[in-house]
Amino acid sequence: MMFLEKGDLHFVLDVLAGLGKLYVPAESNGITRFVPYGGEKTQVWLQTNTAISPKEILFPATETLYRYETGRGKETVKPVADHHAPLILFGIRSCDLQAITCLDDVFLDGEFVDELYRERRETATIIALSCAKAGPHCFCQSMGLDPLAHRQSDLQMYDYDQYYGLEANSDRGRLLLETLEKHDLLSVSGRENPVPALEFALEVETEGITEKLTGMFEHPLWEEVASKCLNCGICTYLCPACHCFDISEKLDNAHCGSKIRCWDSCMFSGYTRMAGGHNPRPGKRERVRERFMHKLCYFPQRYGKYLCTGCGRCLAKCPVGLEITKIMELVKEVENDA
Amino acid sequence: MMKQLIAQMQEIARELLETGIVQTVIGWEKGSRWYLSPPVFVRKPEDAGRLWYDQFAVPNLSGYLLDYRNKNEKVAVFVKGCDSRSVVRLIQDNQVRKENIVAIGVPCAGMRDQSAVNDEKEPHELPLLSKCLQCRYPNPVYADRTVGEAVVDKSLNVPDDLDAGTGLMGGDLTGDGSYVSSGIVERLEGLSSDDRYDFWQKAFSKCLRCYACRNVCPACSCRECIMDSEHSLWVGKGSSPTENMFNALIRAYHVAGRCTTCGECERVCPVGIPLMALNQFLGQEVNKLLEAYDAGIDETLKPPLEMYGWPDFDGLFRCAKGVRA
Ligand code: SF4
Ligand code: SF4
Ligand code: SF4
Repeated sequence: MMFLEKGDLHFVLDVLAGLGKLYVPAESNGITRFVPYGGEKTQVWLQTNTAISPKEILFPATETLYRYETGRGKETVKPVADHHAPLILFGIRSCDLQAITCLDDVFLDGEFVDELYRERRETATIIALSCAKAGPHCFCQSMGLDPLAHRQSDLQMYDYDQYYGLEANSDRGRLLLETLEKHDLLSVSGRENPVPALEFALEVETEGITEKLTGMFEHPLWEEVASKCLNCGICTYLCPACHCFDISEKLDNAHCGSKIRCWDSCMFSGYTRMAGGHNPRPGKRERVRERFMHKLCYFPQRYGKYLCTGCGRCLAKCPVGLEITKIMELVKEVENDA
Repeated sequence: MMKQLIAQMQEIARELLETGIVQTVIGWEKGSRWYLSPPVFVRKPEDAGRLWYDQFAVPNLSGYLLDYRNKNEKVAVFVKGCDSRSVVRLIQDNQVRKENIVAIGVPCAGMRDQSAVNDEKEPHELPLLSKCLQCRYPNPVYADRTVGEAVVDKSLNVPDDLDAGTGLMGGDLTGDGSYVSSGIVERLEGLSSDDRYDFWQKAFSKCLRCYACRNVCPACSCRECIMDSEHSLWVGKGSSPTENMFNALIRAYHVAGRCTTCGECERVCPVGIPLMALNQFLGQEVNKLLEAYDAGIDETLKPPLEMYGWPDFDGLFRCAKGVRA
């Protein structure tokens, strides 16, 4: 393991910023999220995970797919320019990295590869950071994660008092370490302080939940828990793992415009509304059920992991306290005679 | 005292459900943390014991009545003073039928601000919410039943436990524009219009377009919101400065003079946009241009922007101050 003195962090960030487009967790415009590093004026924020997840870097809330022009008998389609400088994501927590692996499953794995996602993801170097304390809404450990490290990072940083311990998990990570060494920023002496186990205010039992949910599609529980839901987009938009989108148009005038893709949410009525007006998920019961079924049943069945990583963002911000941890408890408790 | 009050709330709920007067009771329950009392829907008399009330019962439950507007179901809803104004709003807007709802008024000495929590496990003192510091209707202005010391009272008032010096209250109707979201409107009014424009552009640049502000609002009652209608071409789905601002302005104008200042939009906004400042500002404008008006107090008194009087100051909405009578 290599060590870095905490006081030298901004030198490291300056070096990293020279290697690609560097994103760091920061307080910006009154909220914490990952922003492009802009030197000293960036208010780097390393206390817990950010309010807005880093998914917006790899999968932006709105992005243009292509531009088109029609008229005078000819149609042209212009792809958006390949604008991707290599990305470096600094300070990603285990929960958010796990969520990125979920996005990878959806966008990269299998028959259909999402080119826009792939272009970004393939260039990205991920520098993970261990958590020094669990946030009030965190429950990643219950979801089977280690808040101190995630193996799919390129470089793992451990938070030890005055030092960060650095360990590479990939060639990209090793290359970064070499570069930092060249800049004389690392040392081999440092202390690998034993990190006390994190104390979680929230714990939840997940064992057997996927199997149990398989038989609960028609369970009265959904009606019961869904009534208070506002069908807003908070939980899904803040979730680092939710990845639904909608493709629509942005017209400049009658002849030209662009195709855009925007985040969408299974909580919205328009999400499943069909062209003729029929909506197979007409109400709160169906929408709330879908959200939890997708996260805890369908996704694990398909990809072998939960689509919830325990980051706690939906718990923190749901205006009516519809908590996924509570849902998991209830699913465990209720009788399933379906 | 609180225990007694809760027992009374549970008793009423049980009775209403047992006798079949209502099929659902909407109240609050004890949440997963000491400072959370989220909404609960009780449908069986034996579940009435879940009902709970304390200084964290912040959510305004009246908006849920919109879920019942097309149903022939009777529901009871617990209301604090401020929440009861939303019920009046809904009745006035013909969104609910009086005979289908039982509003149960609860006493309120102000709700506490959970953003000041610093210990998740051990309960500690929290300051009042800023909206509660300016409470003018601590008693329900409309209720079919009341519990505890709550009485139906349409007059301006100060909550018992509140130091009268902190609030804005007094005998005179000042209109909803006097709701102050932490002095921000005054601050904004002091800026040049360019700076003010920048302030709002910046604020709404972080809008996620999650529509929580709309969905929680008891004054937002359109059957289909223009923001959701795919074919309107008024606004696209993408988030961009123009589209976010369009959303913001539509929402603000649509509740102008109708907003009952429950503050829910601002409370639920996940990115902390000071939405109440817009509502307050528009309330002030209504007060200035038309008349001092508190929305949702008296169902027979129409919102000034919904009336036409002669002679109106601009020839269109003719109900200028002083001319209306
Ligand atoms: S669960 Fe909460 S955050 Fe999610 S849509 Fe419902 S009210 Fe909004
Ligand atoms: S479901 Fe909630 S806790 Fe789980 S990953 Fe998504 S936002 Fe985080
Ligand atoms: S609640 Fe906030 S983030 Fe959501 S749409 Fe309204 S203003 Fe935007």
